[in-house]
Amino acid sequence: MAKDTTDPGPPEEVSLKPDAIGFVDALVIGLNATSPAYSVAAVIGPVVALVGIYAPGVMLASFVPMLLIASAFYYLNKVDQDCGTTFSWVTRAMGPWAGWLGGWAITMTGVLVVGSLADVAVTFFLLAVGLDGWAANDVVRQLLTVLLILVMTAVCVIGTELSAKVQNVLILAQVACLLAFAVVALYRVYADTGTLDAISPEFSWLDPFGAGGASLTASLLLGVFIYWGWESAVNLTEEVEDSATAPGKAAVWSTVLLLVTYVAVAFAVVAYAGTAYLAENAAEEEFIFALLAEEAMGDWDWVVLLAVSTSALASTQTTIIPASRTGLSMARRYALPAQFGRIHPRFRTPDVSTWWVAAIAIVWYLVLFHISENALFDSLTALSLLIAFYYALTGLACAVYYRRQLTRSARNFFLIGLGPLIGAGLLAWLLVESVADMSDPENSYSGVSWFGLGPPLVIGIGIVVAGVVLMVVWRLTAPAFWSEHPSVVDPALVDGKES
Amino acid sequence: MSVVLGYDESPGALSALSVAIEVATAYDEPLVIVYGVAAPGVTGEEYGAHHEAVREAGSTALAHALRVADEAGVRTSVELIDERPAQALIEAAARHGARVIVVGTWGESPVRGALLGSTPHKLLHLSGVPVLCVPATRS
Repeated sequence: MAKDTTDPGPPEEVSLKPDAIGFVDALVIGLNATSPAYSVAAVIGPVVALVGIYAPGVMLASFVPMLLIASAFYYLNKVDQDCGTTFSWVTRAMGPWAGWLGGWAITMTGVLVVGSLADVAVTFFLLAVGLDGWAANDVVRQLLTVLLILVMTAVCVIGTELSAKVQNVLILAQVACLLAFAVVALYRVYADTGTLDAISPEFSWLDPFGAGGASLTASLLLGVFIYWGWESAVNLTEEVEDSATAPGKAAVWSTVLLLVTYVAVAFAVVAYAGTAYLAENAAEEEFIFALLAEEAMGDWDWVVLLAVSTSALASTQTTIIPASRTGLSMARRYALPAQFGRIHPRFRTPDVSTWWVAAIAIVWYLVLFHISENALFDSLTALSLLIAFYYALTGLACAVYYRRQLTRSARNFFLIGLGPLIGAGLLAWLLVESVADMSDPENSYSGVSWFGLGPPLVIGIGIVVAGVVLMVVWRLTAPAFWSEHPSVVDPALVDGKES
Repeated sequence: MSVVLGYDESPGALSALSVAIEVATAYDEPLVIVYGVAAPGVTGEEYGAHHEAVREAGSTALAHALRVADEAGVRTSVELIDERPAQALIEAAARHGARVIVVGTWGESPVRGALLGSTPHKLLHLSGVPVLCVPATRS
């Protein structure tokens, strides 16, 4: 028994417990990272304000590029399960420059959305418990939001988390609440007991091109936002039973479930409220969902409000952790300074990058809040730009990384090559169109002009420019990461995992 | 039988190491030093990177503990186990027929320990063998 290991490297069975998480858990985690109730609450207002009755169509149309990109995540996860996501994959497929920018985009999206998540969690919680006055008070709301970000970050650093079972219940309750809202609202439309000027749902609402023009691209971009995060289920890596396929399947199923929920809620909102009411309240798009919940559910509105609040709350955690881990991953490959890779000796979490995430999130939230209240929505649009960017990059990386395997079967060609490429193309088109539209400040929610451009575009450009500057500085000070070279998929891995 | 020690780089662990060496010497039994490497937050993006980072931290910690135990002349083995620390220790104790599990404590209030899920707190309730908690030496 004397010293059977002198080198304390990996001794025996080093792989993760392969059956720690099953398909249902992966599905739930995929849903939870998307945070359907929060996404609906944040986005339905602006989308309805932009395209009116065609909101369900937009919900449907933004699903298409998402599904194609899901395929890219599925296949990239198959050959590179351990190492993470966009940052790692893009670096492997297309080299360090593209990889670094992808990692930057994914981290910044995570960081920037935290403020909005916490704000929604606080606001809807206050509304749910009847403290409407507090919710309307900016100082109280900001204070509580910053406190919430700090608390959630501490929770992430300590590494405490709700058990998988509690999370499952929360997410299922959340989807159930949204569907209950949709059912109640639609029932009251048909029973003609609505409190507002209801209109009957029509199939033509599913036409995403009904509105057309700049409002279409802007709303499609927001549509991308609501499906954002579902790829988390793909990244459960080795944890999942039958890990090469279960997470991918969970990702696809969670997308389908999301689609049904979103389209149903969009129908319910438009039908129940009617176009006149929505036009009247267009300025309050931020609260439209809360207002409608009150109208449709009466005394039961707190159910929906609480669902939104818990959804946003849970998402702060599922957002902070990946963002800090991308920082960790980048630091470990020398793409960021080493202290971002620090692991807290007791809590075993990347505490330095986690606190950085929180600090940037708080500063960002406060700055935006002071510029304008609608700036939060402008920042959602800017986020959507970044999301579209890194999803498109991932779709491209999939086809590039697999380029030698594409002609081996029709299935490979369509699912690994063409599908992700079309998805990437659609997102790139959306990106270009939106950038063109947003260069006109008239098309942003706040309608303000920053430097003669729309605020979301300025925010988006600012983040990309900051990323490029940091990247160049880091390239000059620590070039180690740039010695990584693009490669292709190892054919053996494809055969081995292909079922 | 053997003595199982839970070791990381927290202050309590150092005291626990020296006590574990004393116990192992007194009974003339081998010492098994365990580090549970499961990263908190089992799911989500870049889990692999996080796991690797924790594993590296574990290797460093174990290398240090192994050196100290070697100098004290105790028969020592080390194990990195893919579990949360408490589960890793219970599992290792069962495998090695442990006389006792030794862990460092942090001097945390009981409520905080219960809320934050402290390892000694969990072990005291879950372990089938005696648990020896060693407080961090205060300087």
